[in-house]
Amino acid sequence: MPAILEIQHVSKHFGGLAANSDVSFDVGLGEIVGLIGPNGAGKTTLFNCITGYYPPTRGEVLFKGVRVNGLQPDAVCRLGMVRTWQKVRPLAKMTVLDNVMVGALARTHSLRVAREAAREQLHVVRLEGKAGFLAGGLPIGERKKLEVARALATRPELLLLDEVMGGLNQSESEEIILLILELKRLGLTQVVIEHDMKAIMRLSDRLVVLNSGEKLAEGPPREVATNRDVITAYLGEAVDA
Amino acid sequence: MPPRALLRAPRGFSAPAFLAYLAVILLVALVPQLSHKPLILHMWIMVFLAIAQGSAWNVVGGYAGQYSVGHAAYFGIGGYITMLLLEQHQVAPWYGIGLAVAGSLILSVIIGSITFRLRGPYFVLASIAMAEIIRLAALHFRDFTRGAEGILLSGIPPLTTPWFTVKFLGKVPFFYATLGLAVIVVSANWLVQHSKLGYTFQAIREDQDAAHSLGINPTLHKNLALMISAAFTASAGGLFALYVRFIDPNIAFGIDVSVQMVLICIIGGIGTILGPVVGSVVLVLLSETLRNPKWLVQAGVMSDESPTVNFIEAHLSNAHVLFYGVLVVVVVLFAPEGFLGLLRGATARLRKRLAARRGPPSRPAAAA
Amino acid sequence: MNVFFQSLLSGVLVGGVYALIGIGLTIIFGVMRVINFAHGDLLMLGMYVTWGLFTLFNIDPYLSLLITAPVLFLWGALLQKVFINRVLDALPQNQILLTIGLGLVMSNAVMLGFTSDYRILTTSYSSSSFRLFGLSVSEPLLFSFLVTVAITGALFWFLQTTDTGQAIRATAQDRDAAQLMGINVKRMSVLAFGLGTALAGIAGALLAPTYYIFPQVGGPFTLKAFVVVVLGGMGSVVGATLGGILIGVTESLSAVYVASGLKELVVYVLFLLILLFRPSGLLGKSRT
Repeated sequence: MPAILEIQHVSKHFGGLAANSDVSFDVGLGEIVGLIGPNGAGKTTLFNCITGYYPPTRGEVLFKGVRVNGLQPDAVCRLGMVRTWQKVRPLAKMTVLDNVMVGALARTHSLRVAREAAREQLHVVRLEGKAGFLAGGLPIGERKKLEVARALATRPELLLLDEVMGGLNQSESEEIILLILELKRLGLTQVVIEHDMKAIMRLSDRLVVLNSGEKLAEGPPREVATNRDVITAYLGEAVDA
Repeated sequence: MPPRALLRAPRGFSAPAFLAYLAVILLVALVPQLSHKPLILHMWIMVFLAIAQGSAWNVVGGYAGQYSVGHAAYFGIGGYITMLLLEQHQVAPWYGIGLAVAGSLILSVIIGSITFRLRGPYFVLASIAMAEIIRLAALHFRDFTRGAEGILLSGIPPLTTPWFTVKFLGKVPFFYATLGLAVIVVSANWLVQHSKLGYTFQAIREDQDAAHSLGINPTLHKNLALMISAAFTASAGGLFALYVRFIDPNIAFGIDVSVQMVLICIIGGIGTILGPVVGSVVLVLLSETLRNPKWLVQAGVMSDESPTVNFIEAHLSNAHVLFYGVLVVVVVLFAPEGFLGLLRGATARLRKRLAARRGPPSRPAAAA
Repeated sequence: MNVFFQSLLSGVLVGGVYALIGIGLTIIFGVMRVINFAHGDLLMLGMYVTWGLFTLFNIDPYLSLLITAPVLFLWGALLQKVFINRVLDALPQNQILLTIGLGLVMSNAVMLGFTSDYRILTTSYSSSSFRLFGLSVSEPLLFSFLVTVAITGALFWFLQTTDTGQAIRATAQDRDAAQLMGINVKRMSVLAFGLGTALAGIAGALLAPTYYIFPQVGGPFTLKAFVVVVLGGMGSVVGATLGGILIGVTESLSAVYVASGLKELVVYVLFLLILLFRPSGLLGKSRT
């Protein structure tokens, strides 16, 4: 499987604090990689490094073979890699449809084309009924879906999902899981940060475990789940909880 | 149930709205044919200039959400370039304003590249500081600007075209010039709102980081919004200076010029096409009435002997800024979306009541 | 060389008053995260109260501090309760506009009541000075500086040792945490705005004997207060103290060595440079 994203020895330091140190892994075309680890393990920092919010202190990020560290987030997005935010960021005073149109406008100058594309994405996440509502007024479950629809509207080849199931109830989570699997079936590569272990085991082709900024383990979910280091560092506490 | 979107504006081109817009412009354009009373024309001119300034600020402040309180920089540079070229180099103002626009574009790129590194209150402070720096420089470098003495206009050459000649005497030519500018700036706002640019600006206003992740370059687009805004503001500054035939650093670059532009939008409704228009009418009517209530007499609304007119003249001629202040406080506390917001809220409630009377509410309509 | 020391000295003396203005602004910002654009107008009110007490009752401006400060404190507390309190959770833009509006109301109400004429408060010592080490020291400026030092000292003592002072500092550090710890955050906000207003009023009183008094006098002071506060780091009282003196010195040195008409311009340029390159202030830790 050819790699679409290569993360090579990425480190990110804030002052003296290492949020990521020497993290390396590949993401293959079409697969879902689950990124897990306890709070503060550096998962979101890694997303920020990959998508251009800050440059890694050391290391390289290659997307489709192109070096993307040092690029700005908008350039990364146009290359075909887009992320969602753990703390959702709806464009509050714009309608749901307009939110998704903003994403779609990354690929077109025509409002008409963008509106069509946006409607399509709203249909994919089943939010078409809310198109005319202000995004700021949506309940959390629908905001998360909006976040995904908006990212999808930029027509990414790689989607980075940062805890899209956080704060959702069972049926809402189930909806998102089915959505992710459906997107995978359509050929979209995804990296998923998630706390819900059941969900992540079900979704991922491969797991990467971060702990204190370092990569602790990598491999198929079953294998990682039985890894002794992982259990002590992370899974143990999750199973207890 | 989440609140339903108050539709910001009808999307896309609507023929009836466009025809109504044209009709309003035509009707207003007929005003000088009906009345030559100078105070009445003066009121209109001040309203047009306010619309041009408010709508110009609206592009960067309302749509892109960058609350510049330093727009006097562009207003003043427009006025000064126009006046200096005319008085010292005999450059006719219609070319002068063109050069003023060019100057303001250069200035906006300089100011933007400095201030847009900052966000929120720091941006506001930096924008004020930039305008103040220019004002202080204009006061100090007398050889160039004549300092606090200001520039008095000796005359405007007639505009001669193969078809007609315009002499800049009286208020009528300025009526049409400022009306033209106001129409251009309002139309530009419409174009911004109904284009990709408008979506981009608004996305930056709502959440710059989210916009950045969706393929928008915030720095580039904030600067673009500022350039559009600065160009129109400078044109208004040029026309204003020609109209009052005088300019000095405080009139041109004073902080109250900047504040007024913000107020126009806040009072009317920020980030909307009609907001600055409504705000201008309210603000200018209020301040000009307090400053010189005689226009009411000329308009035939009140008689010369009216006690109201006399009272205003005697006691309130200095109070117009006080009323500004009160208006701002009231609007921020009770109507943060401006007069238009109040109006929309009222119509939405009315519609809901009507719908409730008719039957069960239907699914909310999409915004398209 | 003498010129240098002379302008350094007067810079430090004036800077003391700037510090006082800045401290008031920074306390308000620290506790409420509201940027008070009416700060200079509060200072203007302090000037007028002092001027009124002097012309009506012949009360010495320094003595009148005992009246000016509490009056302005109450006024500030009132403003906070009636107006500012309602926009604590609003957009920062709206907070800024509200304080701009309040400032306009204050300055123009004063203009309506007292006209825009320049008032002068002439005391027996308004223009007297003495010589020290070959430098001329203006008596009113020196008095003002000493009062400033005393008040700043008292303020530090208040903030560091009293329960209320510590509650104010806790609120400034983390509003939510303070609330959880049982601190009455609303009361602290009222106190902070009152305190900030009183400090602005005191600064106005101290400037009254040496300054023209007119309704629009506040505007430039608002801006200067921001410069002081940003220089010292938003919310830092120590920073504002040093920032005030630094601005005073910068102004008076640039009046001599650049041009007197450009002294404020130099200050604003400095301000922009600080905002761009040390956004957390000269004392603050630089952000990454």
